[in-house]
Amino acid sequence: MIKEQKPTVFVVDDDAAVRDSLRLLLKSVGLPVEVFESAQDFLDAERDDRPGCLVLDIRMPGMSGLELQQKLNDRHSILPIIFITGHGDVPMAVEAMQAGAVDFIQKPFRDQDLLDRINQALDKDAGSRRMLAERNMIRKRLESLTPREREVLDLVVAGKANKVIAGDLNLSQRTVEIHRARVMEKMEAHSLAHLVRMVLEVERPEA
Amino acid sequence: MASKHSTTARGAAARRTSSQQQGLEYRAILDAAVDAIIIVDHHGTIQEFSRAAQKTFGYERDEILGLNVRELMPEPFRSEHDGYMDRYLRTGEARIIGVGREVMARRKDGSVFPCDLAVGRVQGMEPPRFIGFIRDITTRKADQELLLRSEAELRLAQELANLGNYVMHPDAGGDDYFSPQLRRILGVTPEDGHRVSREEFLERWVHPSDRQRVAAGFARMDTGAAPLDIEYQVVLPDGTVKHLHHLAQAMFDNRGRLLKYVGTIHDITDRRRAEDEARVLQERLTHFSRLSTMGEMAAGLAHEINQPLSAIATYARACQRLIALPEPELEDIVGALEQINAQALRAGEVIRRLRNFVKNREVKREPINCARLLEDLRTLAETDARLHNIRLRLDLQEPLPTVYADPIQLQQVVLNLVRNAIDAMADVPEERREVVLATRIASDGEVEVVVADHGTGLAPEATEHLFNPFFTTKASGTGLGLAISRSIVRAHGGRLWHTANDDCGVRFHFTLPASPAAATGD
Repeated sequence: MIKEQKPTVFVVDDDAAVRDSLRLLLKSVGLPVEVFESAQDFLDAERDDRPGCLVLDIRMPGMSGLELQQKLNDRHSILPIIFITGHGDVPMAVEAMQAGAVDFIQKPFRDQDLLDRINQALDKDAGSRRMLAERNMIRKRLESLTPREREVLDLVVAGKANKVIAGDLNLSQRTVEIHRARVMEKMEAHSLAHLVRMVLEVERPEA
Repeated sequence: MASKHSTTARGAAARRTSSQQQGLEYRAILDAAVDAIIIVDHHGTIQEFSRAAQKTFGYERDEILGLNVRELMPEPFRSEHDGYMDRYLRTGEARIIGVGREVMARRKDGSVFPCDLAVGRVQGMEPPRFIGFIRDITTRKADQELLLRSEAELRLAQELANLGNYVMHPDAGGDDYFSPQLRRILGVTPEDGHRVSREEFLERWVHPSDRQRVAAGFARMDTGAAPLDIEYQVVLPDGTVKHLHHLAQAMFDNRGRLLKYVGTIHDITDRRRAEDEARVLQERLTHFSRLSTMGEMAAGLAHEINQPLSAIATYARACQRLIALPEPELEDIVGALEQINAQALRAGEVIRRLRNFVKNREVKREPINCARLLEDLRTLAETDARLHNIRLRLDLQEPLPTVYADPIQLQQVVLNLVRNAIDAMADVPEERREVVLATRIASDGEVEVVVADHGTGLAPEATEHLFNPFFTTKASGTGLGLAISRSIVRAHGGRLWHTANDDCGVRFHFTLPASPAAATGD
């Protein structure tokens, strides 16, 4: 159901040499990479919400790295961001982390440190995407329930026994059992515990 | 009898006529004489008082005749006069008679005046009579005193100013003059006596390093081409070194023959020392200001050096990984190696500019292409601009006339203005964050450099104190930047001022003269 796409590393840095060296490094380890000269160029590019991560210079003329992060957050982007910071940029790095960046790395850096962080970020992105896909699936299943089935589901998840549910909904216990079986089937739940977990997964305010 | 009488009468008449004539002549002499003439008897009683005497003393003849000559003297001579006369009559010892001297006399109104007095004894008369000749010398005395005073004042003035003057003749024959202060300046005692020739002066006084220059100055003066106006050092006999400012002129007669030299020598050692100290202080301050500017820019500079270093490190590791691949792409590796080289040079260049800028060095003027200098400065200035998320735009008019300036001091001025512009825009929105660095040729042919910001502008009270040392609106500023910038620009013969920017913010302008001749000393 989830179509696996090869993740891309997006690099945004105004310094041509830094940008190009990163492109070459990522190429050398076989990671697809796209580089951008400015934050605006990155926003303007057609990315189709491809999986990957963003390696972002915190300090740039025009739109800064922090401003780009803010814009991406506003768009509910889940793209993990690794900030590249210079000497003395700690306060900005702190701000970036508070705004949800996965990590930051100070220039000049060891290539392995950066690659490790990129791999972690890509893992995180893949995880987020998997979770997002799963939640979408659960939501679709929930949407397939009839209103009555949904009522039964809510009471089941609330931990009530069939008899109690029958009483609450003014149904026969048998009818409740039938609804419950339909719910388990539509939700593709292996067990009661699995069903509860799925419902909680989508009903939690934020993952 | 008649005949005798007549003869006698004729003789008497002739005698009378002769005596009358003598009397008339005597009066005429008395009245015509410019000097006052007074005749006294042996008691000092006035017998005769000439017209000039009446004018000099303010007495009428009638009122003074019969009075004692004492009346015409001020104390103490007045009381002592009888004694003088007694002694003379008793001993014949003359103090004043036949000698003449300068004494004080007293007018009728009581005023006292100096006079030359000559007294003669009328020969062949007993008791003796004396004739006095008196000349009022008030004016001459005043002139003398004036002369003495002006000489004293001149001497004092020379001492205070440490200035000496002289008149010298080309041959030993003339009457040379050297003022006392000149002797003091050159460490010569009056007892030295002997005439110092020009050659000896050059050899024994003038500092070896200045000798040739001074000799050339003397030679030019001798031809009448130009008066001497030269500063040089001398080494006194006791080893003291002094700085002198020597002005002199050769005087020629109408046949063009050299008559004499007239000159002044000013000891400017103290002034020179003070100037040297002030210059050293100013240079230190300027250097300090540059260092502090660099200190403020340290973060940006670290960033500027970090960029190429990061790129180098990353390229190098990328190369290693690319080489390790089963089928390495040589093109990528070669490109990366080229970049490693270029980035190392880039970092080196930043460090070179930084070192040049902060180096404590001699101020050195040279012909400068302004546009190139500003391009050169761009890296340093942009470093700072980028750090504060500000665009730096260069708007350089070319070609510009060459200016004669110290390149580092000039960069210091521009960098200071750019930094101020950047600071002025700390709180303005993104779209306004731009500093424009422009050059143009001003209407009078000068090169004008303008640094314009779009910041918050200047508060009126800030405008007032803008160029005062230690005045600053910044939390961490030294307040020296603008004061030093202005003094640098002035030393280069230019001006530094500011105007309000068209829409918002401030423009700082400064000019530099295009021709080297227009640049003044430090």
